[in-house]
Parts: sequence; structure tokens; C-alpha cells
Amino acid sequence: MWRGLWTLAAQAARGPRRLCTRRSSGAAAPGSGATIFALSSGQGRCGIAVIRTSGPSSGHALRILTAARDLPPARHASLRLLSDPRSGEPLDRALVLWFPGPRSFTGEDCVEFHVHGGPAVVSGVLQALGSVPGLRPAEAGEFTRRAFANGKLNLTEVEGLADLIHAETEAQRRQALRQLDGELGHLCRGWAETLTKALAHVEAYIDFGEDDNLEEGVLEQGGSTWWGRKTPISPQRLPSLSLFACLLSPTADIEVRALEVALGAHLRDARRGQRLRSGAHVVVTGPPNAGKSSLVNLLSRKPVSIVSPEPGTTRDVLETPVDLAGFPVLLSDTAGLREGVGPVEQEGVRRARERLEQADLILAMLDASDLASPSSCNFLATVVASVGAQSPSDSSQRLLLVLNKSDLLSPEGPGPRPDLPPHLLLSCLTGEGLDGLLEALRKELAAVCGDPSTGSPLLTRARHQHHLQGCLDALSHYKPSKDLALAAEALRVARGHLTRLTGGGGTEEILDIIFRDFCVGK
Amino acid sequence: MFYLRGCGRWVAASFTKQQFPLVRLSSDSAAPRTPHFDVIVIGGGHAGTEAATAAARCGSRTLLLTHRVDTIGQMSCNPSFGGIGKGHLMREVDALDGLCSRICDQSGVHYKVLNRRKGPAVWGLRAQIDRKLYKQNMQKEILNTPLLTVQEGAVEDLILTEPEPEHTGKCRVSGVVLVDGSTVYAESVILTTGTFLRGMIVIGLEMHPAGRLGDQPSIGLAQTLEKLGFVVGRLKTGTPPRIAKDSINFSILNKQTPDNPSVPFSFTNETVWIKPEDQLPCYLTYTNPRVDEIVLNNLHLNSHVKETTRGPRYCPSIESKVLRFPNRLHQVWLEPEGMDSDLIYPQGLSMTLPTELQEKMITCIRGLEKAKVIQPGYGVQYDYLDPRQITPSLETHLVQRLFFAGQINGTTGYEEAAAQGVIAGINASLRVSRKPPFVVSRTEGYIGVLIDDLTTLGTSEPYRMFTSRVEFRLSLRPDNADIRLTLRGYKDAGCVSQQRYERACWMKSSLEEGISVLKSIEFSSSKWKNLIPEVSISTSRSLPVRALDVLKYEEVDMDSLAKAVPEPLKKYTKCRELAERLKIEATYESVLFHQLQEIKGVQQDEALQLPKDIDYLTIRDVSLSHEVREKLHFSRPQTIGAASRIPGVTPAAIINLLRFVKTTQQRQAAMNESPKTDQCLRNADRLQERQFLLSPATLPRRTSLTDTFLTLKPTLSPGRASLKASWCISTDFTSVVTLTGAKVTTIPGLRTPVSTRPTGTVPIPKNIYSILNTYEGR
Repeated sequence: MWRGLWTLAAQAARGPRRLCTRRSSGAAAPGSGATIFALSSGQGRCGIAVIRTSGPSSGHALRILTAARDLPPARHASLRLLSDPRSGEPLDRALVLWFPGPRSFTGEDCVEFHVHGGPAVVSGVLQALGSVPGLRPAEAGEFTRRAFANGKLNLTEVEGLADLIHAETEAQRRQALRQLDGELGHLCRGWAETLTKALAHVEAYIDFGEDDNLEEGVLEQGGSTWWGRKTPISPQRLPSLSLFACLLSPTADIEVRALEVALGAHLRDARRGQRLRSGAHVVVTGPPNAGKSSLVNLLSRKPVSIVSPEPGTTRDVLETPVDLAGFPVLLSDTAGLREGVGPVEQEGVRRARERLEQADLILAMLDASDLASPSSCNFLATVVASVGAQSPSDSSQRLLLVLNKSDLLSPEGPGPRPDLPPHLLLSCLTGEGLDGLLEALRKELAAVCGDPSTGSPLLTRARHQHHLQGCLDALSHYKPSKDLALAAEALRVARGHLTRLTGGGGTEEILDIIFRDFCVGK
Repeated sequence: MFYLRGCGRWVAASFTKQQFPLVRLSSDSAAPRTPHFDVIVIGGGHAGTEAATAAARCGSRTLLLTHRVDTIGQMSCNPSFGGIGKGHLMREVDALDGLCSRICDQSGVHYKVLNRRKGPAVWGLRAQIDRKLYKQNMQKEILNTPLLTVQEGAVEDLILTEPEPEHTGKCRVSGVVLVDGSTVYAESVILTTGTFLRGMIVIGLEMHPAGRLGDQPSIGLAQTLEKLGFVVGRLKTGTPPRIAKDSINFSILNKQTPDNPSVPFSFTNETVWIKPEDQLPCYLTYTNPRVDEIVLNNLHLNSHVKETTRGPRYCPSIESKVLRFPNRLHQVWLEPEGMDSDLIYPQGLSMTLPTELQEKMITCIRGLEKAKVIQPGYGVQYDYLDPRQITPSLETHLVQRLFFAGQINGTTGYEEAAAQGVIAGINASLRVSRKPPFVVSRTEGYIGVLIDDLTTLGTSEPYRMFTSRVEFRLSLRPDNADIRLTLRGYKDAGCVSQQRYERACWMKSSLEEGISVLKSIEFSSSKWKNLIPEVSISTSRSLPVRALDVLKYEEVDMDSLAKAVPEPLKKYTKCRELAERLKIEATYESVLFHQLQEIKGVQQDEALQLPKDIDYLTIRDVSLSHEVREKLHFSRPQTIGAASRIPGVTPAAIINLLRFVKTTQQRQAAMNESPKTDQCLRNADRLQERQFLLSPATLPRRTSLTDTFLTLKPTLSPGRASLKASWCISTDFTSVVTLTGAKVTTIPGLRTPVSTRPTGTVPIPKNIYSILNTYEGR
């Protein structure tokens, strides 16, 4: 059912186009471009999840998912059975709302799907939407930006937009980091690299093949070991050009075909990569022996981590799903941050720092009785200060500073250092201050989980699926023998999809490879 | 400067004499008057000639100032024009009625389209050009251009005056001072000085100041520009030695013959001036390990190669090729310099070794064993000005009405220079007539990509056009440059002749009509199979197939299609160009359908103009990081689209800019409207409202509203305010409060007192106050 870019236009060009002309009156949205979709409700347990689309193909998508000929009445809630357009499998019985532009949130055609909140349903609907031609997952803040561009937001509403986008970008970046952490990330980066190189070689062949005498290097660099001749190849500007063309194509061709097979296999793989780790990511960090593991055990009410008076007890990242004040939380205990210890613990510290990057909320632990020690000062200066330096609205990463072992402080002695940032006092031993901590946690988690921008893993997965499928479809149009400009375009589109997931993707990257690999020039 | 006698030798076209009475210069009957032009172009190279003629075509009285009239149109490096990417630029220059394409059609000696087998989007029109003919034809064209005057003279300084208040820039150029001290005034000045700014020629260890072999560099001008505060960089390039034709043994070398028939560069030409059989061949030979040896053994005699100045990665000297890719054989093309020239240009052998070593190296190469070097190869090092200092119309940010085009902006190549020349010429002229600038977008042409890359990203090596730099390569093809640019050039710039415009209009409507006809013809696939047996169309498809889809097949062209369906297709085969272009349109139709969406997105961003006079470093009401501010300050992007392409400018920064733009627009709209809508308001009220709208209190706050809004009373100090809040509205809606004093960052969830002393209370005018009252604050 999925149609690639080219076949879509070639075969079904009449279908969608007629559709466009019919609603051309609603073309008030200037240059509306692609249709986007996103999960608009927050993550965590919820009865109903709201998925929104915006753009010219919204109506088309609604009809495809509801398998209906007609659109529901505008701005009326209607109950519809949603099914997967590829398999025809029913997904959910859902409320759908159809808002034709310009009278909608973004000013474009919009659809809202109110589906049951389970991850399987939400994930199914997101993936079904991703498979509709012309739809793609929204970028950070894109809905708001469209609304703004179409004059649907007043200035006061817009003021928060930059913060929102900043937060969304950050949250999505962290979410992407988590998702690309494991094998999938490794695969994606490998694929992107292969594609970039293949594209660079095709581009080099287009731009320098004839004019600048692409020299024999192109063939060796392409990885084809069977081409070992050191003698000059026949001049490319002579009519025997075909020789060169058929020599080049196998290298890029083989690589692209191999990539296509790998991608296809990955997409068919029922395991779909890794387990979804949903919930807010809370990471406990601090110098060694501050009481991090004790706190994790206290919060999860079970002995997750080994606790001992010896610094450096925890070495690996220990992850445990807990329910904190009603919010799903993935609590991570990490190794104490310190330098100059054994290789195993160093690895633990590296992992701890990595996990810190991905955290939605950081619980920074310090020993209240040991604030003057170098490790505490260092921690305050690096971790706490760097997160705290951004004003709360600028940074979407939140931090709570907790001073443990308050029982060791003498009641009438001078309190903790006066220059400390705002903090909470706690004693894991006596449980004193735990209520205060839980209350603070509840507030923070409400902010983290209530915000739909916090990059739901379901959406991220739909995004991966969408771009990998897009990449695969584009690759299927790669035919090196014919129009090379078209072949290169297929690779460009494919690479564009992959670099959406991995980052990078500029022209300079291509040129750098060309000039590194080939001796081109007059 | 010895070229200059008196106040300059005038070489003017007959037309110009009526426009500009030369008499006044020599024999002043009335008060002595300095000459005054609309546009002055400095430099007679590829950028200068295009700029001068483009300005004149737009109707400006133009003066072309050059060191020597006889070097106008000189091809100082390779004897060829066009190539992949460069051919695209030439087509676009031609679409704007520029010169170089038409002159190449009259001066070539070997025409060949590169990339013939790789798809029409990347075809590269290219030709070997007869240097002498090109120069002759160019000079003839220049001296016969109406409104264009040519004068010999070296420019020493610029005349600067007070800036125009409605534009940015610290001063305005109003003329030039020549070396002899005489002055010429003009409304706009275009600098196209090529490699002449502090040009330095290097052969072996010898260095001497020169813009080109045998020509003086411009040093005074370089100093003037530096004094004005332009950021100057240094680049290097090189040119190979020239070899005597009769000393080469061509018989043992590979020969390359030109295309038959030749494809002309210009849309207005059906064919070129010379028949294919009369054209000259090129020859190919290779370097060998002995060449490597000579290079490696003599690096100590080669200061150019060792210098740190950046040279191009893609036009490397033979020395850098040997150093970077050792143990390879490198190609050397032996190209004719002209019909009756005794010289051969060995493309690929650009070098800066001492002269005697150059000869030694050349005689190692097959076919060149007895070759005589007539002119040694040399390197040139020169100043360029960071192109982020110019706008997309090529006017400088610093000096109003001063334009830069060509190698001065860090590009390399005749075609890149010519493309900038046309744009600078048009805009210098539009500036004089106070019309909006003519900017080609990235979505419209290679010229747009070239200028956008330069002005937003700058360059650290000589910039050359490649098709891989172009995102919308399949839309921006050499075949459709006229549709893309000629119509705009006629309407927006006025630089296109009526005849060319009408031709482009006819072509556009014929193409559109042809495509819609091709779309309307639908048969079943089996019927198509019967009609055109050679097409490998799949008969399994049940849907009817459009003629346009059949035309996509490689083995089908308009002729075979018209044979199958004579009515109504026959008439589209009569014009060969039209038939070919229909075939190309069909090839890319389906992909272009998708590219169009992306193009729209880019255009939408480009439609959002940033105010020209933003001072990014000090502006208060946009929240931007210091790094982003510096970047924006330096490149001064003109649109949101350009800003988003600057590396390091984040999406959040873009949104902040966007908000700023909209706020500014709304404030301006409010200012303009208020007198009309509130006729009943008393004057005092109106004044108060105006003052309020202009006061800093109405500027948007830097950060979000989520923390505080409407929570402060003007007289009450405790409350919560975000770190960067610059103002608040009092809860009784009567005044706006600016906050000063100590502010403490809070971690949400923790109660920390914030001490904020409100100061600078501004009363809100009543009519605005009433609007605010209806707003339900948080």
C-alpha cells in the first residue's frame, strides 16, 4: 500500500491532485507544504491520547485511516473505526474531529484523533499515519510555528514559542539520544555513512567525471577491489564514456543494494529494535558515597542497589521503573562522579555522564556533612552550576539539589554553606525530609510528564519507522544505469531521511569526501 | 600610473556622446565640472564587463574604468568557458541577457556538452574559446553598448559621503579618485578588481606585485577598503605554463573531437559561428613518476606551495596533486588557445616551480618531449573580501551603494564572475532608480545558490560552482533557465530585451500547453505497446497511461510519440528545441512534483524579511545567545530563510527572530493605523498612545510568560519574576513596569524569595488599557 515518492506521483498523480483542486478554496494557508502529525497529549498513563495532523493531506489521511469515502462533518466529534491502511487491521475505535482550514488551530486542514491511551494503539495509529503518502512526523514546535505563520497566534501566545521550541528540541534530542543509544543508533549511523559516501561518489562522478578528469582513484575508492589496474583508464571525454559509466556503477550500486537489503530486513524485523523505555527519566548523580544508592532504594522501596560505606560501590547504571507520586518514572542509579580510579569504575563514570545527558530530571546528591571536600565542590561547579546556569525557562532539563545525611549536621551548628543554590535537606537514614523531597518531585514530574513535547518514545519510534521506510523507498528508485541525476536525487532523498535521525547532512560533508577521496582538478 | 594620460583616455561609443557631452571635460566653457555617472564599474574582466553592460541595459549611464582598454575581456587563465555547473551559470547569465554566452557562441573553437549520458539536469555546456576572438568580440560589444562609456585609469580611492538615513551602512560612496588625482562622481560604484587587490605573482622563490602577468596590482584601493573596516582574506590560485604548438608530438596522443552538431550557449542562437568539422581537437596525455620526482626534489624552491594561503581543493596545482595523491598518473589536457594561436594550454599542469624546472618537468611528459615553454606557469596570491559583508544584491553592508562582484568575493572562474557581474550591474542600477533589489533565490537558479552560499556562509577557499551544491538540481536545469529568469529579468530588473522576453514567453506557454496536452492523452498500456513497439512498457498495469508517462521512457522521444499520435502532437515536433524540452520536462515530472513542496517551504521562509537595520549585538528584545548574535551580526541575513542556513543559528533563535519580525510589523501597523481609526481621540490622547507604542515598555519580553504575567503591582515589591523579564503589566492594567534590581534564579518547586524593585512605570493609554482589560491573564 505504501507508495514511494515517484510511483505516487507517476501512478496516482490524478488522485491526489484532483483532491487538491477540490479544496483549493481552502488554500488560504500560504505554502502549506507537507502534512505533519504528532502525539499532542502528554506521556504516561492516560485514558485518551490525542494525535493531531496539520496540512493539505490531513483529509486524505483521515479518509484512508477510517476507510471512508467522505469526511466527517467539520468540527463535530464522530466515532470511527481506525484501521491500518497497509494491513487493513483494525487499530482502535476513536473519536475523530475534522477541522478544515483556515478555521483550525494552525490555519491549515487539521484532524484530531482521540484514541485510547495504550501504547499499542497510539503506536499503531502513529505508524499508520506515517505510512500515508505526504505525511511525516512533525519537527519540534512545527504545529505552533505553522499556526504562527498563518496568523493564528497572537503575540502574547507567541512569546513562549521560542522557549517551547527550545524545550522541544532539547527533549527530542534527549529522546533521540536514548533511542539511538543502542544497536539501532549504531545501525543508523553506519547506514548514513554508507549512503553519504555512495552519494559523494555519484556526485563526484557527475561534477568531475568529465570536466575535471576524475582520475582512476574514483574506482579504487569505491571499494571495488577487482579493479586493480594502475594504468590510466581511457579518456572520459572520448566517446568510450560508457566504459567509465559501467565501471563506476557497480561500487556505489553494490553498496546501495546491500543497504537496501539491510534496511528492508530491519523494517521487517518484528522485534523493532529495543524495548520502549517510557516514563520520565530521573537520574541520581553525585560524588561517590553521597548516598545515591540509598536514595534509589528509598524511592523504589526495594533494595535495587548495593549500599556500602565504601566509595565507588555502584559502577554500572542501574535502572528501575518506579511509580513516583502517580507518575511513571525510570529511576537510574549511577556511579559516583570522580576522576583517577580504575578502568572499570572509569567506564562506570563515563556511562553515568552519558546518562546524565539523557535525563529529564536530575537528582543531584551531596553529602551535607562533607560539602567542603574537593569532590563536592567539583560536582557543584560542573554539574549543578551548568544545569542551574540556564534559567529554568531556558533549560528543559531540570535539577533538584539534595543534601543527604542531614542527621550528621549538628542542629544548632552553622547550616550548609550560604552560597549554595536552592536545595533540599534529607536523611536517607532517618527518612527526615523525604516528604519534602517527594513533594518537590511531584511538582517537577508533573511539569515533565504533562508536557507533550517531552518526546514520547512512541512518537520517536514512529519517526524512526517513517524515515527508515522513506529511505528504503527512495533507494528503490536508485537506478544507476539511467539518468544519473535522478539516481543521485534518489540517494539525496534517502540520505535526507537518515540524517534526520542521525544529524548532519550538509553539502559540505559531500564535498569533503569528494576532495578527500579523489584527485580532481585541472 | 603610466596608462593614464591627462584625465584619462576616453573610448566612448557614439551613443554615449549624445548622452554625455565629452566637450565639457576638455574645454570648459562654463564652470569646470567633474564627470557624473549613474554607475561606475571598476575592472574590465568577466564580472566588470557583465556588470557594466547590465547596468547600461537597465538604463543607467555607466562608466567602465579599467587599467587598459585592450585587456577588456581578457581570459587570463584557461582558454575555455562552461563545464558542469558553470554551463548552468552561463545559461542563467544569458537568460538575463548577459554577454558571455553570446560571445562564446561567436568565439569558440571546440564545442562539447559534458555529462551527455548522465541526464539533462546535469548537462555541462562547454567550449574551448579562441582568446583573441573572445576579446575582440567582447570589446566590440562593450564599445557599442548604448549608455556605456569606457575609460582607462587606475582607481586609487573612493569618495565617501554621508549615508542615506533610510538605509544601513556607515557611509555612502559617491565617486572614485583616480591615480592622477582626478575624480569621477557616480550614484553607485561596482568593484570587480579580480586578483588585482594586492596581487602578487609567484614563480619559484620570486615574488613580485602584479594583478596578472604584466599588469599592475591595486594597492591603494586595497588599503582604502581595509581602512573602511572590511574584513580582508587572502587566497591563491595558479595557471599553467603555455607551450609552443609546433613543438608537441600530437600523433602519439589521444585525440578528442568536438560534438556534432554543436550546442550553442545562448538561448537566442540556433547554432554557433563555426561548423563542427572546422573546429579544433583537444589531446590528452598523462604525467609519470619522473614528474613526481621533480616536484618532490624541488619543494624548497617553491614558496607558493608552502604558503599557508588557501588555494582551491578542486583546481590544484600539479605540486599539490603530487603531494596529496602520490604515485598516481595525472591527466593533462592539451587545449588549443585559438584558431591561429601558436600556443597550447596544458590543463592540469598549473605550477609555480622556477622557470627552468618547469621546462624540465614538461619534457618528461609523453608527447611533450621536445616541448618549448613560451610563458611559464605562475601562482597568484590576492586579497579577497569576506563575502558575508555583502547583501544578496551584492551591495556592501558597510558602504551604501558600493557593490562587489567576481573574484573579489572569493570565487574562482569566469562564469562565477560573470554571474555576479550581471546581478551587481542590475542592482547598482536599480539602486539609482530607487527600485527594490533584484535577488535570485536558491530555488530559482544557480546564481541564487552561488550568492546565497557566499553571503551566508562565506568561503575559505576560492568558491566554484558544482551541481552538488544545488538542492533543487532537477528543477534548475540548463534547458529552463529562460523560464526561470528571463521573465523576472524583464519585469523586475528591466535588463532583458523585448525580443528575448517575447521568445521566453512563447516558449513558456508552448511548454505548458504541450505538457497539458500530453497529460490529457490516455491509452491503455497495451495500446501504447501497439503504437510504439520499442517501448518497454509493462502491460500488466490496468490503469490508463498518459502520453506524458510514456515520454518518460528512455527510448521514446517526441518524434516517436507524434508518429504514434499525430493529432494533436505533431505540431510540437516542429520546433526542435520545444520537442527536446518537452522530453526533459517529462523525464523529471514526477520528481519535480515532490520537489515543488520543498521549494515552497524554502520560499515561505525567504518571504519573511528581516529588518535591515537590526543591531544584533545590542538589540534587547530578542533572546539570542552571544554566539548567534555575532554570527548574525557578521552575515546580516536578509530573510529568515537565509538566517536558518547559517551554521550555529538554532531553531529557537530563528523563532525568536521570527517573533521579532512580526512584532515590528505589528507595531508599525499600529502606528500607521492609529490616526485613521481613532479620529475621535483627542490629540493629547493620540500623542500619549504614540509615545506608549514607541516606549521600550511595549517591546516584547525576552522570555516566556509562563513564570509571571500580570502579577506585579506597581508599588508592591514582592512577587515572582523570571530572570530576564524586562517588563510587566501591573495587575490593575494601568501601567507597565520595568524591573530592575537583584533577581534570583529559582528552581521551580522551591520557594525562594525574589527581590525585585519595580521602576520606570509607564502609564498605559486608556484605549489600549481597555483592550488589555479584556485579556484574561494568568
